[in-house]
Amino acid sequence: MSAAIALESASKRYGSKTIIHDVSFSVEKGEIVGFLGPNGAGKTTTMRMIAGFTTASSGTVRVAGYDMATQNDEAARRLGYLPEQPPLYDVLHVSQYLAFVAKVRGVAKADIPREIERVGNACRLEAVMTREIYKLSKGYRQRVGLAQALLGDPEVLLLDEPTAGLDPGQIQETREVIRAFGERHAVLLSTHILPEVTMICRRVAIISNGRLLAVDSPANLQKASEQTNRVVLQANAPAEALTAALRDVDGVTEVRATPISGGSVLHVECQVDARDGIEAAIARTVAARWDLHRLERMQPTLENVFLNYVSARGAAA
Amino acid sequence: MRNLLAVYHKELLSYFRTPIAYFVVAVFLLGTGYFFLYNVFNQGSANLDTTLQSMGVLLVTLSPFISMRLFAAEYSGRTMELLTTLPLLPWQVVLGKFLGAVTIFLLMTLGSMINIVPLYLYGNPEMSTIFAGYLGFFLLGLACLAVGQFFSVLTQNQIVAALITVAVLLAFWFIGHVRAFMPPGALQEIVGYLSFALHYGGFIQGLVRSEAIAFYLLVCAVALTLNANYLQWRR
Repeated sequence: MSAAIALESASKRYGSKTIIHDVSFSVEKGEIVGFLGPNGAGKTTTMRMIAGFTTASSGTVRVAGYDMATQNDEAARRLGYLPEQPPLYDVLHVSQYLAFVAKVRGVAKADIPREIERVGNACRLEAVMTREIYKLSKGYRQRVGLAQALLGDPEVLLLDEPTAGLDPGQIQETREVIRAFGERHAVLLSTHILPEVTMICRRVAIISNGRLLAVDSPANLQKASEQTNRVVLQANAPAEALTAALRDVDGVTEVRATPISGGSVLHVECQVDARDGIEAAIARTVAARWDLHRLERMQPTLENVFLNYVSARGAAA
Repeated sequence: MRNLLAVYHKELLSYFRTPIAYFVVAVFLLGTGYFFLYNVFNQGSANLDTTLQSMGVLLVTLSPFISMRLFAAEYSGRTMELLTTLPLLPWQVVLGKFLGAVTIFLLMTLGSMINIVPLYLYGNPEMSTIFAGYLGFFLLGLACLAVGQFFSVLTQNQIVAALITVAVLLAFWFIGHVRAFMPPGALQEIVGYLSFALHYGGFIQGLVRSEAIAFYLLVCAVALTLNANYLQWRR
């Protein structure tokens, strides 16, 4: 069973400018993969290569086992795609628009009304089915775009920032739709909302400047981050004794103590390994001999992880 | 076929839901009515040939406003991304859109046929000549729309698409006049063959020549093929 989406050293060049460098990753059936990167990193271009809107200059892109360069039509039948800006025909009614897409996707004629109702309910479009699209609010437009991508129950779903322009309640609902869909199909969604990735994605692909920096689980990415493993504390203690005591705690790899504005209070940063409960061990060690004022295990966001990855590569390049 | 019909249906819906097609049809029918009345009452000729001649010029200048939105609106509405990633082949898109525009053009043509009624009531027109004229008019329309559709795929701006098409079509309409300044020879023949107006003139006089039919169909085929190839190439 081949992967639902597979990129093998796919590159995209416009003239002499290379936009995407040798990107390789895959998305399996039944998994939601987040695609994360700053603006201009190449997220949309990569999505477009997978969707078949542009072709890769070199390397291969496969969707549901079909090569996008040669079997585009077969792949397109198995693909639902929501571009960054929802591609809507403003003058049509929502239901007319969905009927057009359903027909082209190959939904049997008798099933089209049922199929439109299904995606309409999933995306909460019941109230606007007979409205012209140009009259809809931004949130509704986004959801009509999502509904369009879900038509015909495609094996592979590509979503370019699917929750952009939605209010918090709608974001929640949309995530549920994507999560439910991801249980049976393959989903690749690009986003800049980091909690979204942690919440619904099993793996995250990070891209910057057209290069893939990492593909991993959100949890692993956090572990990989330097900042994950840091305990910050303030204590009233002699610097050398405290540093020595902390170094003896099992799991602490590095200690840096700096005095706070001339007083005897120290600001201490400990690099630790990823185990749980290490902050408690540190707290016991310090509190047993000195005054512990404050202790905090830095809970890094994926944002920090992401910035680390991006800046580390940026510095190396 | 199903895909082609889906595109066709979508195009028709879009035409009827935007005002431009109505305006074009209205202006065309007003103009046609004026030319008809002028010819019948002022010139006293109970036939359609001068009217059809004017209708040809009107068609060349107005049809670009039917074809301009076909692709330009897909670009500006950001729907090209959908159209290219759906399981649609380029020729299905091109033909579906073309047939949509042709349908509007047919409605326009049918509307102008009301002029035949008074001719019958008050005169004795030659039906075969009128039929030949309308056949020429239909073929001319097909060629104009195909050319217009091709220029529409080259730009995001509908107005630009329309104006380029008007310029190109008028050039091909009047190119026959250049012959007067040319020495007789092969080049003169070629220029004559390229003229939209000269072929059309034959039809109006009741001449249905296979050469003229082939010319208009060839223009359609070339324009639509270029159009489909362009879509393929754009990826």
